[in-house]
Amino acid sequence: MSESVLQLNNVSKRFADFQAVDGISLSIPKGSIYGFLGPNGAGKTTTIRMILEIIKPSSGSISILGQPSALQVRDRIGYLPEEKGLYKKMKAWAVIQYFAMLKGVEKKAAKQRAYELLEQYGLGEFAERKVEELSKGMGQKVQVLASVAHEPELVILDEPFSGLDPVNQVVLEDLIHDMAARGQTVIFSTHIMQHAERLCDHFLLINHGKKIFDGTVREAKASLPRRIIIETEDAIDALNKSGLILDAVEQEMPPSATNSATSRQWQLEIDENTDAQQILQQCFELGIKLRRFEFTEPTLHDVFVHLVGDSGTETAVRQEAVA
Amino acid sequence: MKMISLIAKREYAENVKTKGFWISVAIFPIIIGGMIFLQALLQEATPTRYYLLIDQSGRYEAAVGTAIDREHQRRVLQSFVSYLLEHRKEGDLETTAANANTAADQLIDDVDADEVSALNDWIDNGGLDYALLMASPYLEADVPPFEPPEPQFVAASVPDDIDVNSNSEDIIRALRPYFTGANQVTGAEANDSETAQGELFALIYIPEDVEQFISRPGDMPPAAGTTVGIQYWSSNLTDSRLPDAISNSINSEIRAREYVFSGIDASQVRNIQRTRLPFNRLDPTAEQGEEAVSIADTIRQYAPMAFVYLMFVSLMQNVQYLLSNTIEEKSNRIIEVLLASVTADELMLGKLIGIGLAGLTTIAAWLLSFFLFLEFYSSSETETISQFMEVILGSDLIPWFVFYYFTGYLLYSGVFLAIGSLCNTLKEAQALMMPMIMVQVVPLAMMAYVVVDPHNTVVRAMSWFPLFTPYLMMNRAAANPPMVDVVGTTIVLILSIGLLIWGSGKIFRQGILRTGQPPRLMELWRMLTMRH
Repeated sequence: MSESVLQLNNVSKRFADFQAVDGISLSIPKGSIYGFLGPNGAGKTTTIRMILEIIKPSSGSISILGQPSALQVRDRIGYLPEEKGLYKKMKAWAVIQYFAMLKGVEKKAAKQRAYELLEQYGLGEFAERKVEELSKGMGQKVQVLASVAHEPELVILDEPFSGLDPVNQVVLEDLIHDMAARGQTVIFSTHIMQHAERLCDHFLLINHGKKIFDGTVREAKASLPRRIIIETEDAIDALNKSGLILDAVEQEMPPSATNSATSRQWQLEIDENTDAQQILQQCFELGIKLRRFEFTEPTLHDVFVHLVGDSGTETAVRQEAVA
Repeated sequence: MKMISLIAKREYAENVKTKGFWISVAIFPIIIGGMIFLQALLQEATPTRYYLLIDQSGRYEAAVGTAIDREHQRRVLQSFVSYLLEHRKEGDLETTAANANTAADQLIDDVDADEVSALNDWIDNGGLDYALLMASPYLEADVPPFEPPEPQFVAASVPDDIDVNSNSEDIIRALRPYFTGANQVTGAEANDSETAQGELFALIYIPEDVEQFISRPGDMPPAAGTTVGIQYWSSNLTDSRLPDAISNSINSEIRAREYVFSGIDASQVRNIQRTRLPFNRLDPTAEQGEEAVSIADTIRQYAPMAFVYLMFVSLMQNVQYLLSNTIEEKSNRIIEVLLASVTADELMLGKLIGIGLAGLTTIAAWLLSFFLFLEFYSSSETETISQFMEVILGSDLIPWFVFYYFTGYLLYSGVFLAIGSLCNTLKEAQALMMPMIMVQVVPLAMMAYVVVDPHNTVVRAMSWFPLFTPYLMMNRAAANPPMVDVVGTTIVLILSIGLLIWGSGKIFRQGILRTGQPPRLMELWRMLTMRH
């Protein structure tokens, strides 16, 4: 693994009667896009606040950009908090300039940078507007720009996608990709798996303050059995016995199906070494007539639901609604 | 340090850019200017008031006429005195004794006293013309001519439908429409060119048998429920000038007759009544040769009240800003971004400085507009005020004010910043603010009393309470408070500021990330005692 920009060693945070974060360790490689995933209340924001030293961990240690405290390197960090808000009476460019200056950028350079960013991400004509005159989504974009205007080495975005329409979500994804391409490290938290799936190299999955998974997306997917969905009128016992299949579960037919009443749908699990082609061939050989054969890689959503389990249901439902 | 100045600049700019800021800057001079204008306006706007005299005894018409004339002459005199004050060459309040018996004052005194002769003197001496002649050497060159005020009370002629010889009930019944404005009376001296008409203001009714009711020492008072003597009818119950003048004038007429009746020389009595012995007020703590209490000394003695008031208004305004800005950042969660960029201490300090400067800007704007006002609007009032200002600015009260203003600001802003950091909405903050405002009202309410009795034991004791110290010590500043009070309270004050800023900083650091209800007392205590 390449050079690490952020390391957490057994970090915990306890509020009076509530264990918000419980013994989290992780290491984030430089230049990566790293996702903090987990249901609401999992401890994502608390972890982020501890990384930024806005609050101090109850125990454990943090190393950020080679320093023990974010305060020592705060000019090299960009941060977008979960709850968004800006000075309402300030103009869009002035807000970006102000926050960049707080990070040590010179006044003139900060102003120029503000206009550039607004132009680049589609807000050029709103530069002179006051924040209170902008829509919520635009305000949020301004805030994202304000948090990265000083070109930090490490960008931490807490729920950056919430409240953005699909078009602007794509703009934000572009921004994150742009930053990673320039070698900036981006950490973002979300409970919407699609974004994580599209963006992340690595991610951390936490629930109830505990780390459930930490690694690459590929690793996460590999941890789930792969699934094939087939639809047939024939029995599949023979296929089951072939040894290629780990498990077969009958699924309810989708309501839109026009198939005959005798048709049944199965979800087959196969291990990582089995090729879907082999299954298809096997079906052929066994004379199982397929009406449908569908092989899909597991999504991060599947991983999430699998790992978080029942406690993640609420989030899963919300996620469906959002997506 | 750079961050602090950046935050301070933003706080300052944000405040100064708001409409509310400029309104509060403008409101103060507008109110002061408005009050002066309004007063002048009100004086001029009083309409001519018609009175009707029905004297069935036939003996007091002259006395009533004198009363009205005297009332008018008094206004002329007062107006003349303020004309003198406004246009005199050099008014040095340092040398003008507080009890100086200027000729004009004496004249007013005499007119105020029950002394018809004073008016006679004034008129015998040529009245206004003579006074102007006497005053001219003391007036500035090219003064505008003196314009005496118009007579305010004018005799009305008896309307045709009134029978002056009927009894009072009938007269009043017939006059009612004139009182309500349904009918109008005509001025007695009105000529054809200007028909002076108006509502009837007052009726003076003197019954035929009025002299039976002259009361002397030892007489039984008239039975309750009976109206005897002169009747003054008017629906205006508050303007007592006319009835007072008439009553005084008629009484002095009666007394003059009593003197004659008793064989006493009335003019001798008058002269006796106007004898005086000079009365001097001296200050034993003043330097030799300056013991005489001058008007300037008196101003200096009372000036702290103005400073205390200015301090209160300005501090309240500042802490309001501090509170609302902190709450804005908190409710918008901007605070989190800020804290990722600067420390809580830098943020707090930046806010204190930025808003403190905004407060100073307000005071500067007030003073500037005040001076501009004095410069460009000259009247006897502004003349007096600018003389007052000269005395105050020349006194050693300014350093006291600067010191107590800053310490007061630090003290109270520390408290309010902590309150702001604990609340999410202004509504929540107001509940916590209330007790702090009440605390400040205490010294404010004592203001006038403290000036008169600055070394009162209770006042001295209360000065040691840090939240009162800036107000009370400012209040006592002109009276040379004992050294032990000055040094002691200053030490206590500075220690408490340190303690308060430290505690507020702690609460601020923890409070700004809080959401939900403001904390209970126990929780607040935990915040203060918690160690990082």
